[in-house]
Amino acid sequence: MNQPAPFEILGHTADLRLYVTGHTLEELFRNALKGMASVIKPGIEGKSSKREIEIHSEDTTALLVDFLNEALYLSNVHKEVYTDASFRSMSEVTLEGELSGAPVSEFDEDIKAVTYHEAEIAQNTDGYYEVTLVFDI
Amino acid sequence: MSQAPYGAPTKKDLVKIHDYLWEIPKLFRSDMRVPARIYASEKMLDLLFKDRSLWQLVNLTTLPGVHKYAFVMPDVHEGYGAPVGGVFANRLDDGIISPGSIGYDVNCGVRLLRTKARYGEIKDRIPRFMDELFREVPSGVGQGGRLKLSTKELDGVLEKGARWAIEKGFGLERDVVYCESNGRLENADPSFVSEHAKNRGRDQLGTIGAGNHFVEIQRVDEIFDQDDAKALGLFVVGQMTILIHCGSRGLGHQVATDYIKLMMQAMPKYKISIVDRELACAPFNSPEGKKYFNAMAAAANFAWANRHLIMHEVRQAWKTVFGEQYTSPELVYDAAHNIGKFEEYDGVKVIVHRKGATRAFPPGHSEIPEDYSKSCGQPVFIPGSMGTASYVLVGVEQTMKEAFGSSCHGAGRVMSRTKAKQIVRGDTLKEQLEKQGISVRSGSMAGLAEEAPLAYKDVETVVDVVHNAGIAKKVVRLKPVGVMKG
Repeated sequence: MNQPAPFEILGHTADLRLYVTGHTLEELFRNALKGMASVIKPGIEGKSSKREIEIHSEDTTALLVDFLNEALYLSNVHKEVYTDASFRSMSEVTLEGELSGAPVSEFDEDIKAVTYHEAEIAQNTDGYYEVTLVFDI
Repeated sequence: MSQAPYGAPTKKDLVKIHDYLWEIPKLFRSDMRVPARIYASEKMLDLLFKDRSLWQLVNLTTLPGVHKYAFVMPDVHEGYGAPVGGVFANRLDDGIISPGSIGYDVNCGVRLLRTKARYGEIKDRIPRFMDELFREVPSGVGQGGRLKLSTKELDGVLEKGARWAIEKGFGLERDVVYCESNGRLENADPSFVSEHAKNRGRDQLGTIGAGNHFVEIQRVDEIFDQDDAKALGLFVVGQMTILIHCGSRGLGHQVATDYIKLMMQAMPKYKISIVDRELACAPFNSPEGKKYFNAMAAAANFAWANRHLIMHEVRQAWKTVFGEQYTSPELVYDAAHNIGKFEEYDGVKVIVHRKGATRAFPPGHSEIPEDYSKSCGQPVFIPGSMGTASYVLVGVEQTMKEAFGSSCHGAGRVMSRTKAKQIVRGDTLKEQLEKQGISVRSGSMAGLAEEAPLAYKDVETVVDVVHNAGIAKKVVRLKPVGVMKG
């Protein structure tokens, strides 16, 4: 069995779809964050910027969308791009942790929001978690 | 483009009402509460089945309190939750309000300015004007503006909209008269706008951002209706106009994000089940519904203040380049195309959701400027793709009877941004446009490629559908001679 790519950018008529996979939920969330970073500003390295994050949601899919929206908010306000996250605690509906990334002078793409449109985290037959997210551009 | 999911209509499910209007009957899917309608020519129909637009349209007809029917304009394309180009109205007494069906860019809209200059007189100075415009109007992703507002000042913007800008010396007293809702929704309540939203918008007033937002200088290319054009101050072919397209920036995006989350949490309480989470909604009369309506109004006011500041910046650039030779550009009108409005049709009070659709009230309507009410009706601006053409339309009586006083809003995308970037290079496109006599200024060549004309429908066919369907009337065509993008 080949390991699937952590994320892949797919087309959408007006916006952008991101397909994400992970061995674990934690990896799925980290890969989704990396995927989003690759859209906002590709090629960012470094972990000098740290931001605390705490999310409570209705279910795990909403937790992922809300997590990414919070990262997007912090990114917009602090002019930073987050390429990784570590989680102190994570359940199906809550998480606490830290985003890490680097400051940027500008972004390449304006993501207005991460949407819940057709988002549904599922475990595929190979045991990987997968989800497709639509970003409003 | 993605495959049509289960429950998506096919061409054989359509019933023809007339050459430009089609219906998906209520019986098509058991969860439909009302029929779904499509404004399109037969030729356009095949295109509509290539993405999920019509599945998303049918989903709108399942929402509680939906009145009469939901419909899409000819510029429709797949969105998230609701299709872009979608219109539906929900009864106030038993209906819902849905943030995703108004859109993340609350009160994204278009305003047109007219000038007294003629193309032949200023042709050589257009590149200089574009340079000046690029300097005056901050653009680009995450780009802040000249103002960084305190929360108190920001609350003033959210309460007063365009009026705030006038009070601060940006724009003229007459300008607010020529904005939809006079540039201010009175139910706005800044206390329902989160700190997150305020932080995102704090430094963004007077900026256009990126994506499909732009400032364009154009010349009148053809006049279809002399009397209506004259009423709008558009007198002759060659007269120069300026079109501004943008919305509520990060502040509006965050308001939508916050309230979609809130409504997802609230839906079980109201026993609402939906086909797609992005259609998350709450009864209009619930605390959640009212809070969103008032927060959305505050974000809409931010957008009007934003376009007012951009207009001020445009006027500054104009003055720098043309001095006293021409009077300052005058506002023709400002119309929203992502908004929820409290209106009344067939004696029923409703919230009209317009997501990628423009209000288009006819002559005689009390909510439009008096001079337009007595003559042409409310103007509607339909920007085409970059380098093609834009249209000025006016509202007609028929739209009140059948389209909740609405018209279309643009050309409508047909190709993804990723694909457009694979096919088109931004610098090559810039070169081609310059050869056509269009000065292009953009901070991002990739962003330019994403907006390439081939990614859009032909605006003329879109406009012809609403004109021929009798829900709006064509007045003027404008051709761009300078485009500024983020």
